[in-house]
Amino acid sequence: FYHMDLYGSKERFDIFPEELSGQGDRSRGDTRRESALNTEKFQHSQEAGYDLEKEVAELAKMYGIDEDREKELELLGGHLEMMESRWPPSRPGKAGSQGSVFNASKSSSPVKDQSQSTKQQGLPGEAPQDEDQSKARAEDEAESHIWSREGLSSGSMSDEWNSQAVSEEEEAADVFCSTCKTPIRAFDKLFGEHKDHEVAQLPSAVENEKEEIHKNMCKLEEQIAQMENFASHLEEIFITVEENFGRQEQNFEVHYNDAVQVLAQKYEEQLEALGEEKRQKLEALYGQLVSCGEHLDTCKELTDTTQELCLENDKADFMKVKSFNWQEFLKKEVDLELSTLPDFEERVIDFSEVEQLMNSINTIPAPCAPVISPQAPNAATGTSLRVCWGLFSDDTVEYYQLCYKPVSNERHADEQAEYTLKVKETYCTITNLLPNTQYEFWVSALNASGISPPSERAVYVTAPSPPIIQTKKIRSCENAALVCWESRDLNPVDSYMVELSKLTDEENGDNITESIVGIPNCEVLIHLQPTQSYHICVRALNLGGSSERSEPVLIHTTGTYFCLNEDTAHPLLAILDDGFTIACDELENPECDLPVYDNSFTRCIGILGSLIPFPGKHYWEVQVEEDTEYRIGVAFENTPRHGYLGANNSSWCMRHIITPSRHKYEFLHSGMTPDIRITVAPRRIGILLDYENCRLTFFNADIAQHLYTFNSHFQHYVHPCFALETPGILRIHTGTAVPPWTAL
Amino acid sequence: SAELKCKMKFGIYLPPKAETAKCPVLYWLSGLTCTEQNFITKAGFHQAAAEHGLIVVAPDTSPRGCNIEGEDESWDFGTGAGFYVDATEDPWKTNYRMYSYIKDELPKLINANFPTDPERMSIFGHSMGGHGALILTLKNPGKYKSVSAFAPICNPIQCQWGKKALGGYLGSDVSKWEAYDATQLVKSYPDSHLDILIDQGKDDQFLSAGQLLPDNFIAACTERKIPVVFRLQQARGFCSHRIGYDHSYFFIATFINDHIKHHAKYLNA
Repeated sequence: FYHMDLYGSKERFDIFPEELSGQGDRSRGDTRRESALNTEKFQHSQEAGYDLEKEVAELAKMYGIDEDREKELELLGGHLEMMESRWPPSRPGKAGSQGSVFNASKSSSPVKDQSQSTKQQGLPGEAPQDEDQSKARAEDEAESHIWSREGLSSGSMSDEWNSQAVSEEEEAADVFCSTCKTPIRAFDKLFGEHKDHEVAQLPSAVENEKEEIHKNMCKLEEQIAQMENFASHLEEIFITVEENFGRQEQNFEVHYNDAVQVLAQKYEEQLEALGEEKRQKLEALYGQLVSCGEHLDTCKELTDTTQELCLENDKADFMKVKSFNWQEFLKKEVDLELSTLPDFEERVIDFSEVEQLMNSINTIPAPCAPVISPQAPNAATGTSLRVCWGLFSDDTVEYYQLCYKPVSNERHADEQAEYTLKVKETYCTITNLLPNTQYEFWVSALNASGISPPSERAVYVTAPSPPIIQTKKIRSCENAALVCWESRDLNPVDSYMVELSKLTDEENGDNITESIVGIPNCEVLIHLQPTQSYHICVRALNLGGSSERSEPVLIHTTGTYFCLNEDTAHPLLAILDDGFTIACDELENPECDLPVYDNSFTRCIGILGSLIPFPGKHYWEVQVEEDTEYRIGVAFENTPRHGYLGANNSSWCMRHIITPSRHKYEFLHSGMTPDIRITVAPRRIGILLDYENCRLTFFNADIAQHLYTFNSHFQHYVHPCFALETPGILRIHTGTAVPPWTAL
Repeated sequence: SAELKCKMKFGIYLPPKAETAKCPVLYWLSGLTCTEQNFITKAGFHQAAAEHGLIVVAPDTSPRGCNIEGEDESWDFGTGAGFYVDATEDPWKTNYRMYSYIKDELPKLINANFPTDPERMSIFGHSMGGHGALILTLKNPGKYKSVSAFAPICNPIQCQWGKKALGGYLGSDVSKWEAYDATQLVKSYPDSHLDILIDQGKDDQFLSAGQLLPDNFIAACTERKIPVVFRLQQARGFCSHRIGYDHSYFFIATFINDHIKHHAKYLNA
């Protein structure tokens, strides 16, 4: 090819191998190859630059003339970027044009391609920021190219060049003139045209240049990213356009069809009316014709008759005929008017409806019915509900209208208050509701065109109210507790759950240590650890979720706690306020007329306790007065209420009677008692019920004295029982731990 | 025996626990005509004693082979009828010192030779032994952790046996007898930290014969507020005529467990 090509390639890669590597490995390879030659040639160019000012004009001329050079420009164009030769921008005009030619050209070698393309991209990037600079660069590059071409254009010149180069090899460029943007020799700075220009050390100039290029590269990358995003966005928009088109197409179709239908209908109607009119007209005319004909006949007949008469020779007969009243007949008006006009009414096809239809083509239709969602978990509290719905079409909606009313099983369901809310979102939280109640919700969507049909009705239910634990009725022992509660809601709930937390000494407070779920009734027997304290609370559950926690109750598992069963109390037995003292004031006839409940004692002035039905040991104490006659012990739940405690086989008790001489004690079961004397009348009696060892033991708790033990394998769980036989008081103490001296 | 100046035998039961640890000691005093054998063989206490880890010692009821004139004359005085007193009358006063023997010499001996816990002692007995248990307890407050008795002679100064024995051993001064009468002793017992269990067979002929007189004792205890549980035992059954328990070892055997438990409660506390 052109030998100058080779020449150019040497000059191409002078002092920026790093940059070149940024632009491609191939460049680098070339650079290394060429680097040896670079410095030499560079000096060359430096020198040449200085001396060639005069020759620039010549070059320009050559360049302008020689259009074929464009090809060369192509070949060498890519490399100019790498050349650091900076020519004074003395010929902007031509340079500019050359620059533009440059940009348009494409290079053939791979390296050139790369550099070319980067150059092309770089330039637009630079353009907004530093147009002058880029133009200057272009000019510079163009001019340097000119220079190089000049060197290449003729062999002779190159020879000259070479000889010149040889002579000036020794002095290398070592500073950079920022003014001229060209490397120069320091010498030139001092003595040459650059002496007033700003200079910088070549290496630092190199660094600066590198930085610049790097920045430009970054900007380039940004641009690439932007364009890529934009491209993908465009792709999406393509699809959207298609969709919108489809929708609009459908819309038109529907509307036009409607319009056409209406038109057709109108046409039919008018046609029919026209036909009807014609029929009427014809009928009328026909009628006229008929009557005309009749008249005509009549006239003709008369004519004939008269003519005949005139022909009558008999003059006498002729004068006789006077029957016909001619005057009257002729007077009669002959209706010669047309009953109806041949013209038809003007008929106009009413396009107004069609017009309306066509106009409504672009109006937004009223929306479709929204779809109300079923109740999500956690959507309910005791007094509020979060209702959600969705719109599964692309209709425009301005707002939604949510309606609800409580669901009721009663007859007057229709009279239930219905509430309506205006909502902008697709969800709404309704408050101030009743707990454990079902509500029916439905929603409609509204826009400028109107309201959608209502959605299906969805039933939501609020969570229940927290139950109330019946603290007075709690029974417990060392290893278990029986807790019962009441629901606060009218309607039944699905189930209950109990949460316990053991109280420890730590500050952590309530850690829920256990939850018991799925409790169907309002009571539960919980197994616990001995000598601990627990907080227990209950929640009610329904489909809406769980209620808040009930008020907690504190349970100590230090001993056995029971309460008295008021239902079993004999009418004369009073339970005092603390719930654990029973008293009897007078002993009227125990079988008196006081109101008696099914479950209460009728003869024995007694009462049962409610002991937790749990195995193991249970201990309680009864405090008595010295002169009180009592029966205390245990009995089965079904011990006969008409009987006396101890007199049957369903009760065991210690009985104290006072005789004139002494205290008498009996230990009764099935009416029998051993003969026992007790010298010190106990004031505080400890009762130990030991299911495991089949024993019921009585103690004088004050002196830890064992009094008596019943040995009986109790077939069922028993309850403590207490009865008074004289006016007096019994104080019951529960919750005491089993004393050690009871161990036998 | 130094106290009794003759050779004395006693029965002793060592529970399994004694192999490894020191155990409390429960002293049993037998009644009239008994030896140290009767209780060991007839009472059936071993299981309960083993269960509660108690050493049971059953001494003889009187010195034997002392060759005192008249000692074998009657069954309720002399041999086999020591009455747990320290006699002051001749010819008994040299040998018949059962009170001191039981109170001091025997426990010392036992404690020296067996794995005992010397701080924990209790005492019980039957009939005359019951009387002995009661008086030893009442005369030595705090020495015994607990006391119980089967059909004890509660008020010897009032009954025939007592009058005969006490008269014989102590002379005719009734005031000296009172020191060995449970009912009397109770009246002046300094405190009330006692828990006495007494079982009495209802059909015990000696009860009906007025030899035992528990009511007097009970009345005195009630007065003094000494806690006593007194059980008049009779059989429960289907027979129309109630058969009560009598004075025999069968009676003792029936209720011995309750007594062992009673003592164990205090000895093992």
